[in-house]
Amino acid sequence: MTNSSQQFDEELHSLLVVMAKEGILNAAKGMSDMVGEQLTVSQPLVKRIPIREIPNLLGGPEAEAVGIYLRVEGQIGGQMMLVVPYPKALELVDLMMSVPIGTTQTLGSIERSALQELGNLTGSFFLNAVAATTGLNSRPSPPAVLVDMIGAIIDIILATSDTLSETVLMLQAKFMRDGREADADFWIIPDRNTIENMVNRE
Amino acid sequence: MEKIITVGLGEYAVSQDPEEILVAYGLGSCVGIGMYDQRINLAGLLHALLPIHPMGSADQQSRYVDTGIKLLLEEMGKKGADRSRLIVRIAGGANMLVAPGFTGSFNIGTRNIEAAYSTLYSLKMPIAGKEVGGTTGRTVKFYVKDGRMTIRSIGNQEREV
Repeated sequence: MTNSSQQFDEELHSLLVVMAKEGILNAAKGMSDMVGEQLTVSQPLVKRIPIREIPNLLGGPEAEAVGIYLRVEGQIGGQMMLVVPYPKALELVDLMMSVPIGTTQTLGSIERSALQELGNLTGSFFLNAVAATTGLNSRPSPPAVLVDMIGAIIDIILATSDTLSETVLMLQAKFMRDGREADADFWIIPDRNTIENMVNRE
Repeated sequence: MEKIITVGLGEYAVSQDPEEILVAYGLGSCVGIGMYDQRINLAGLLHALLPIHPMGSADQQSRYVDTGIKLLLEEMGKKGADRSRLIVRIAGGANMLVAPGFTGSFNIGTRNIEAAYSTLYSLKMPIAGKEVGGTTGRTVKFYVKDGRMTIRSIGNQEREV
């Protein structure tokens, strides 16, 4: 790695950490409003993850999960995904619908729509905070809800990322409820152009 | 004792060990392409991510369907496979995003399948079995012992292609 690209990475990293903190804290607030319970968020991580290791996150490529996926367009371009293990997604629906935990057994159209709304709100809160911090405006696409194996869900991110690199820059945070971890992972994968724009405007 | 050999994203594996099972977990829009030479019990499995390798790019060839197929063939050839004997099967290529607004630009699955068909056609290699398309992910297992390929998706029984 050359010095300039190392410097680029360091600058980018500190910028993304600031963005991540503000954005993800705000996203957690949006999500809390939606589920009607106080959610906290772990220290957001900004890291480069080798492409081949991504499917091994969150319990392995065959684990059943729910992904709520949004594209981001505008001055910031990228992808956002809320990834929740399947049983946890059912619990989130219970919370949103104010029914006892364990009530929701399957994800029908109403339940999916609730999860879409959750993705929408979380994503919008994130982008609002980013806009307030950086002055860069962007908007999320309508959310898509995917219920499948982790590996299959993640293909979407990889197939639309800049695959010329061996790694994907990822901003990751875990939402927690009652201090318990792993209710939901929130990933943001900025497009390469966005990353360059952000560094250049400094 | 069966041994699982995981074929990760953008990778391929070739084996002649009858105890080994080549597995590509959770294929969404990715495609798994399996080739088997029955005479020498040689199996090869590719787990490709995108359809066509960009011209002049230094990007890893096994990540793409077109160049990945050729790499796999080459590797199997080195181990004594005869192209005319190879039994080819394909799985995967689902279109994971079917929500409004996404379908047009995200049909990577379909493009991966088309790339596989055209590459194999140009190499004059017929496809013996397939389970492609749809909207759900699949795990592919390829048994070196007898060349069987099975597929599992969520909520379904494991089945053979």
